[in-house]
Amino acid sequence: MYKLFLCLRYLYKRRIVFFAVGAVCLCVMMVLIVISVMGGFLNMVKDRSRGMLGDLIVESTTLQGFPFYEEFIARLKAEMPDEIHEATPVIITFGTLRFPRNGMTKPVQVVGIDLEETYRVNDFKEGLFYEKYYPGTTHFERQQEPYLGLTKDGQIALPPELEAARRRWEANASPQEIADAWRDQRLLLEVEADDLPKELNRGRIPAGLKRAFENRLFQLPDKVEVAVAKKGKKWLLRHAYGVNTIQRDGDKLKVYYSAYTGPGYFAEPESPLSREGPGWQGRPLPGVILGTDLCAERLRTGGYARYCRRGEMVALAVIPFNPKGGFQEGTGFLTMPLRYVDDCRTGVYDIDSMSVYVSFEQLQDIVNMTAFVPDDRDLDELASEPEGAAATRPSGPAVPARTTQVQIKLKPTVDTRDKVMAARNRVQAIWERVSSEGLAALRDAPNVLDRIEGPVSWVKVQTWEEKQARYIGAVEKEKYLVTILFAVISVVAVFLVGVIFYMIVQQKTRDIGIIKSVGATSLGVAGIFLSYGAAVGVVGGAFGTALGTVFVWYINEIQDLLIWISPSAQVWNPEVYAFDRIPSEVNPSDAIGIYIAAILASVAGALIAAWKASKVWPVEALRYE
Amino acid sequence: MSDVILQATGLHKSYQLGKVSLKVLKGVSLTLQRGEFVAIMGASGSGKSTLLHLLGALDIPDAGTVRFEGRDIFAGGSRARDRLRNATFGFVFQFYHLLPELTVLENTLLPCMVGNSVWSWFSRRHALRRQATEMLERMGLKERLRHRPNELSGGERQRVAIARALANRPRVLLADEPTGNLDAATGREILSVLKSLNEEGQTIVMVTHDPLVAASAHRIVSLVDGRIAARQEAPKAP
Repeated sequence: MYKLFLCLRYLYKRRIVFFAVGAVCLCVMMVLIVISVMGGFLNMVKDRSRGMLGDLIVESTTLQGFPFYEEFIARLKAEMPDEIHEATPVIITFGTLRFPRNGMTKPVQVVGIDLEETYRVNDFKEGLFYEKYYPGTTHFERQQEPYLGLTKDGQIALPPELEAARRRWEANASPQEIADAWRDQRLLLEVEADDLPKELNRGRIPAGLKRAFENRLFQLPDKVEVAVAKKGKKWLLRHAYGVNTIQRDGDKLKVYYSAYTGPGYFAEPESPLSREGPGWQGRPLPGVILGTDLCAERLRTGGYARYCRRGEMVALAVIPFNPKGGFQEGTGFLTMPLRYVDDCRTGVYDIDSMSVYVSFEQLQDIVNMTAFVPDDRDLDELASEPEGAAATRPSGPAVPARTTQVQIKLKPTVDTRDKVMAARNRVQAIWERVSSEGLAALRDAPNVLDRIEGPVSWVKVQTWEEKQARYIGAVEKEKYLVTILFAVISVVAVFLVGVIFYMIVQQKTRDIGIIKSVGATSLGVAGIFLSYGAAVGVVGGAFGTALGTVFVWYINEIQDLLIWISPSAQVWNPEVYAFDRIPSEVNPSDAIGIYIAAILASVAGALIAAWKASKVWPVEALRYE
Repeated sequence: MSDVILQATGLHKSYQLGKVSLKVLKGVSLTLQRGEFVAIMGASGSGKSTLLHLLGALDIPDAGTVRFEGRDIFAGGSRARDRLRNATFGFVFQFYHLLPELTVLENTLLPCMVGNSVWSWFSRRHALRRQATEMLERMGLKERLRHRPNELSGGERQRVAIARALANRPRVLLADEPTGNLDAATGREILSVLKSLNEEGQTIVMVTHDPLVAASAHRIVSLVDGRIAARQEAPKAP
């Protein structure tokens, strides 16, 4: 009884122990925050990985791809209707992307997709920018570039198709979503009419205007193309990232970031004051979707500043390979001009800064992955052929069309790991059947077999987790490593508990003698200090868990507060991280585990002191006052 | 069974002071009758406190035995000695030795808490608390139950210490210079408490260097140089 009683009494009577409680509290808080943020990060990474891949991936990791995918997909849908929601072929190859307007060329991963099927297989659609705000306008068909213009009532607007699409979005969007999309279009400041630039100025921002922008959230870049002109009472300022308006209101000027009130970056007519209405320009070209980081700069707000206008022409170059992996004879890079219709953000920088999405059929065609009849005649035979239209086409069985990947979305009923693995194994079995049947059908065409046997044998069926195992594994390892590091740092708390308890035992030697003189055993006295240590762990751990949980819940608000105090205090920079917000969920089992560890660590810290207390010899302890 | 409650035979005890071994007790034998009030006298360093500690199982002799009602108190190991100290012997020290964090009542209850597990404490706590309160009331500390030791005078503290020593109704009360730290009047007060306890049948062994204090006892045992020098009946023996 006395153990419990004395340890509770000492807990709130000995002030020094508050330091030990505080240390335990801080360490528990620290470890809990680290585990929660890292764990949340890991979950986000997993979600994103799954979101961009679908559930199962059938792929050949080669550039020449594998055949029989059409029969395979048809068979999958026929044989597994209860498990498979959608399956879509994807071609992945490499190339370069050139932005002719500024002469920039980047290496890219070219992804050929069927847009509608991909929408059903993974979260691709959620990452699209223009498709969100102008629903139904993103497609790979031939199209022109839209440009802004003044409507009859003096508003700056897009062509009617796009305006209608935007109104469709607005009708369904929540006020928060609309506010988010318009966040760059608020009134920035008012300037006195005297500061108004007197004349059109190109190349530099008028000094008066620049002064007015100083110390504001929004800073005008130094060297941009600026055109300021007067039109009635409206002043327009144009710079690299869009259109800005300056409105005169009495003797005040109101400066708006953008005159066009919808999201996105669009072409403007030559003169901002042109009386022409909005419209479409340029020759029709197929569409391309770019990874967002390819065509935009990430801002601290988590938004993007796009430097490629919607519909702007880009040039994509790819290399066709023959089924055996060699260069197609007589070809090198093949270039196709495309129009940038949208950009997609998966949230994984490596993907968003590298990927270009084009139509599956178009890519299949240009990289020669469509079906063809092999031509094995040698040069002499070809030389004896008549020229031109009379030339005979090679005949016989064709090499089937190829793809490099088939992405499969499973039905929501396939929800456990076991079910996913079972589905994977069935898919694998179906592939083996389809491919062997396909090869058997071509038994009599050795020149075709020779070209596809290799590619067929390289196909793997994986779950999204297996496919992303290395990436997820790296983040997982990082989580464990950081947790271990912080746990090691927390050992400091054990030492602090040890030191403080040692001091208490030193101070309390006489009291320990008294307790022993009335019959307490050595073990019992040790028990007082061990339960005292446990009590420190229980109290400190409880406070730490509570504070840590609250901290994690409000971690983004805390960061906002820090930014408000000093902008450089931004720890989670959306410019750097794939996610806008810091993960803010606490896993209860983590919290309980840390709590128990804190109690055990506190008991461990009290061990030496308890042992010393148990060794106190009452006669010695009681001899003097 | 005879009326002998405590019997010490041939007790030897030495302390190691650096390299020198200091022989404190050199064969002390002492017999204590039930209900007796014995004073152990001697000069400073004569070993009288050591003898008291050995009688109360607070310390272990180098040689010799102490028998409580015929049983060797050092035979059962440290657990047995802990139990004896808790229930059979009650100690009162010169410097009171109260726990500063505990109230008067809690200090008094300390031996009861040590002697009971959590569950038996919770089932018996009302009885034990009433018993301790009665003891403290008897010591004239009724108004002081919730006070802390540092709020009490020396005499009051010593009375709390006596109440604590008696909490588990010990068979023998061992007092080490109980008046040594008190002024004469307060000392007399404490002595009268001890005497009245003795009159109710409490066996008491008291260590003192003050002949006036010793005079309250039935019997005085003088220790000189680690041996018993003489025994004499107190003049006012009943």
